[in-house]
Amino acid sequence: MADKGKKKRYALVLDSKKCMNCKACVVACKAENGVPVGKFRNWIDEEKRGSYPRLLMTFDPGQCMQCENPSCVRVCPTGASWQRPDGIVLINYSECIGCRYCMIACPYDARYFREDLGVVDKCTFCVQRVDRGQLPACVETCPSKVRVFGDLDDPNGELQDLLSTRRYLVKKPETGNGPQLYYLL
Amino acid sequence: MKTIEWGILIVNYLFLGGLSAGIFFVSALATYLQEDGQPAYPRIARYGAMMAPWPVALGSFLLIFDLGNWYRFYKLFLHFRWESPMSIGSWLLLVFTGITFAAFYAWLPEEARHRLFAWLPKRLAFLKRFDLDLSSWRRPLAMLGFPFSIGVGIYTGVLLGAVQSRPFWNTNLVAQMFLFSALSTGTAALILALSINRKSLDFKQIRFLYTLDICFITLEFFIVLPYLIHGELSVRAVQEALKLILGGPYTVAFWLFFMGMGLLLPLFVELWEMKPVLLARATMHHNKVLAAGAAFLVLTGGYLLRYIFVYAGQMSSFR
Amino acid sequence: MERTLMDRRTFVQVTASGAAAAALASQLGCLKHFEKGKGGTEARELVVPTTCEVCPNKCSVLAVVDDGVIHKLNPNPESPRSRGMLCARGNAAVKQVYDPDRLKQPLIRAGARGEGKWRPVSWEEAWDYTAKKLSEIKSKYGPQGTVWSSTEGFQEVFFKNCGLAFGSPNIVRHPTLCLASVNLAYSATFGTVPAFDLVNADYVIMSGANRFEAIIIPDTMDLIGSVMLKKAKLVYLDPRFTVTASKADTWFPIRPGTDMAFILGMLNVIVGQGIYDKDFVAGYTTGFDKLQEHVQKYTPDWAEKETGIPAKEIIRVAHEFAAAAPRACYYSGRRSSWYQNDFQMRRAQAILNAVVGNWDREGGMVPNASIPMGEYLFMPWDDPTASRVDEIDKTFPLAAKGDGAYLKLRENVLSGQPYPVKGWMVYKQDPMNALPEQAKTLKMIDQMDFVAVIDFQMSDTAWYADVILPESHYLERTDPMEMMPGIWPAIVYRQQVVKPVYNTKPNLEIIQGLAKRLQISDYFDYTIDDWVKAQAKDIPVQNAFDYLQKHGVVVTPGFPKYGKTLKGDYRFITKSGKVELSSDRLQESGYDPLPVYKPPTEPQAGQFRMILGRRAYYTHANNTNNPWLHEFDPQNHLWVNPEPAQRMGIRTGDLLEVSSRAGTVRIKAHVTDEIRPDCVFMLHGFGKHSRWQKLAYDNGACDAQVLETSWDQVSGNAAFHETFVTIRKV
Repeated sequence: MADKGKKKRYALVLDSKKCMNCKACVVACKAENGVPVGKFRNWIDEEKRGSYPRLLMTFDPGQCMQCENPSCVRVCPTGASWQRPDGIVLINYSECIGCRYCMIACPYDARYFREDLGVVDKCTFCVQRVDRGQLPACVETCPSKVRVFGDLDDPNGELQDLLSTRRYLVKKPETGNGPQLYYLL
Repeated sequence: MKTIEWGILIVNYLFLGGLSAGIFFVSALATYLQEDGQPAYPRIARYGAMMAPWPVALGSFLLIFDLGNWYRFYKLFLHFRWESPMSIGSWLLLVFTGITFAAFYAWLPEEARHRLFAWLPKRLAFLKRFDLDLSSWRRPLAMLGFPFSIGVGIYTGVLLGAVQSRPFWNTNLVAQMFLFSALSTGTAALILALSINRKSLDFKQIRFLYTLDICFITLEFFIVLPYLIHGELSVRAVQEALKLILGGPYTVAFWLFFMGMGLLLPLFVELWEMKPVLLARATMHHNKVLAAGAAFLVLTGGYLLRYIFVYAGQMSSFR
Repeated sequence: MERTLMDRRTFVQVTASGAAAAALASQLGCLKHFEKGKGGTEARELVVPTTCEVCPNKCSVLAVVDDGVIHKLNPNPESPRSRGMLCARGNAAVKQVYDPDRLKQPLIRAGARGEGKWRPVSWEEAWDYTAKKLSEIKSKYGPQGTVWSSTEGFQEVFFKNCGLAFGSPNIVRHPTLCLASVNLAYSATFGTVPAFDLVNADYVIMSGANRFEAIIIPDTMDLIGSVMLKKAKLVYLDPRFTVTASKADTWFPIRPGTDMAFILGMLNVIVGQGIYDKDFVAGYTTGFDKLQEHVQKYTPDWAEKETGIPAKEIIRVAHEFAAAAPRACYYSGRRSSWYQNDFQMRRAQAILNAVVGNWDREGGMVPNASIPMGEYLFMPWDDPTASRVDEIDKTFPLAAKGDGAYLKLRENVLSGQPYPVKGWMVYKQDPMNALPEQAKTLKMIDQMDFVAVIDFQMSDTAWYADVILPESHYLERTDPMEMMPGIWPAIVYRQQVVKPVYNTKPNLEIIQGLAKRLQISDYFDYTIDDWVKAQAKDIPVQNAFDYLQKHGVVVTPGFPKYGKTLKGDYRFITKSGKVELSSDRLQESGYDPLPVYKPPTEPQAGQFRMILGRRAYYTHANNTNNPWLHEFDPQNHLWVNPEPAQRMGIRTGDLLEVSSRAGTVRIKAHVTDEIRPDCVFMLHGFGKHSRWQKLAYDNGACDAQVLETSWDQVSGNAAFHETFVTIRKV
């Protein structure tokens, strides 16, 4: 992350099997980004199946997918939602009028409305940390290290390594948003 | 986090915006159509021009009030983003509202206009030079207003239909549905206005409105049907979204109150009223109460359509 | 979840108050970073390494301080224990510091006990009052008329020492509400309590130690990695389908209270078929012949009848376990006791581990290593002359005397035998929630002439106290260093991150103020700096004190180290000097030398066994009032299996009355397949009495009100699974 100038594409690879639903990522995000109580920039979905004693329970962490082709940015009437060249989708709070069209346009329901500021907010991959060479709070704090953060365009990076050697899926690819969270199978 | 972000204010806005578009469209049509160099349907034209600005003005106010930062609404007009239906819609709305007010002014009876200017305080007396007769602008404004009223009518549907993440909305049929619903509610509003007026009805003009409304309702009906059929034949996400109105929480609202009472019943009433004209070329029998009732039902149906689409749409999503 | 205008208003109200607003302001500050479309690169903050205190794990933390306000706690990757993680609770500690509900100044009770009327007082007045009360009790009943109870923590030592210097023998600590039975069972077998090398294990069996929801470092992280990356197999026994069960290769919803039968069944197979580690057994153990004879009757078929686990599964697990050994372990866990024979059940585990020879081997059990650390030498006091009120010498001759036996102590205090106890000092503990049968704890408070609580928040016990001495939050104080023994030993240091936000003090200063007035201040004639500098002296790194200030944790090379105790003439710290499969010492004290199975009490018709468990985001009853954690489980529910639920017409959300001999609570039902039909479960830490815990007050139900008093017969550890309840729809 130190060498500037080179094109980057930030993404997350997640190994949900390792997720224990401990919520460390959720609270770390809350603290780092000042997310109000009752609102979430990231979350953990549960899936439960079966009946006693044959049961299944799985967890899937989720957050903004930092899409290649983000519908939230497209529908924003003022350009408050925008995308950096490294793929991170951000909201310029002073331009946001709070129409919440982007929330409706997000297939992942990754955005929330901040009543106190009257603006829409969401995961930023912790740009304030990433730009200083740190990991996003959720990535760093995780006890089982479910998430791997990195640069997709780095041919020798961990992401390329994982995505070349492991099977994975992305969520709701049919919406055409090009989500950049890769879930290992 | 899944939430219902657009609530009743947006429902009201979508309805009111469409209503104005419909009223203006019909009024403009009535202005445009001439017989012997005179507007063929003068009362419709004037009533429409008088009525059209207010719903959209109120709707725009609600829209701004719904914003997280209402005082930043001007930012909508610092940008033009062709990819954002809301951006396009805001501009359309701005121009359309301007035209409706201009038409309002142009159609204002001379006496009323003078009285309006008489109210001006002394300090603003210089404004009196705008006390002009603009009746010659009526037809140009009507012609200019056609595309914008259609634009506003259709945009309320595009606003929803362009959201690819909500399978309940994501078909271009929603735009047409909202457009014809807008035209139909506009027509109904004029029927209602003419019906509750104490002045005796002009059969020719009421027949014109009925004819239009029957057309609009029929068109709307034949868009709702393919919407359902298309959806059922579409991918699973759309099928599941349609369950919201096919057995889901909005089933009764959709079928009984929208389709039944908001679409088919008024259609039937209006056809019944028109029966003598259609079958025997006789003068239509006209019942003011029935006409007002049918118009009221159309308006309710139009409102419900917005309500159902706004809420059910937000509840739908891909899995 | 529809957005409403009310939300908007309440949000503003909540955030506008005091320190919360300051914290929010700093958070909003960070929002500004991306407004201009670029991240800020200026070094805005100070990073202070410290050690978390939200649970007993002591994870290493890097506190980011922004303009005097704690912005964020990040994990410190240097710790070999917390392995670069910080859990939800650890992250939420920031919220505690700026919690408007926390204790902000000393308080003296103004109304009746539990009425919630308080008079804010100065520290001088609080100390004077406490000292006066303690002195009165001392003159009437002797110093033994006071009990000093506490839970582990870096500053606990000052509290404990104060009690001892005051002359009270009645120091009662948390272990008998915690892991005393495990510690005692492993000590009785190996002479020490080992750690488990889960990162290298190939096969792990776990009885109810729900490691993926009850986080223990580094075990939780090591195990989830091993299991999910398919390096290790996990066999898990629990009446509840926990997260750990969901990740296990095999989950057995075992009949509660029969874990020992499962272990004995495995021993029968492993010993009977000769697939144990013959070299280890011959070289390092004693009593194998007795074990061989003893487990003969515990056949897998017999175990099937007891546990409900098919005999062929028990045989399979036994074979797999033996084959994987020594990279296999029956993980002891670190849980409270369950049954009255808990010690013997843990003994059976220890014996099973011993016979497969996983002792001191990679992937097995490893005796704890340590790093040298200095000690502050303070002036010693005379040992208390009176004997302990819990009569631990008589009742639990093998138990760790210094920690006491909590439930026995409560019984004796209530009966006034062998002598009256009228004063109760509490540090960092909430006996109202931590002890079963809350009614008895309340009675114990009632019969006290004086109760004082040192805590940072208004616990239920504090709510009933006479004096509250507010301790500074861990982020506001410097604590003694601590050596954490283990496979990866480390020395950790907790240093002050921000100045106390309110009028609170570190425990040492609280104790010093009190000691001065009790005329025992000579024993506390030092500062925290003196203490830590003395500790830093022997730490084998250069400038250890500076190093710890900069890094927060000291690790020395050479770990993990295996096989130290398997060399030459190592003598185990047991009577025989060997690993004691059969224990003469136990026999001499009147206990079974080998674990003898006793079937658990059967629930009667209409009764359910109440079991306990954890969530990863709550520590005991401590954080249910933290808004960042509370929102994950805003209320506790009674888990009921659908089968009995259907029979009784119970649906999720129905209000239930749950009754035992200890008491009755009301709680909403949660009908779920994730529990056995004969058990019910509720989460700990709800239904609080303290109104200063807004989110947990009168919300859900308190399990301590229903749990009955029962203890493990050898260790005296509270047995938490011996309660049967009836449930009724209301």
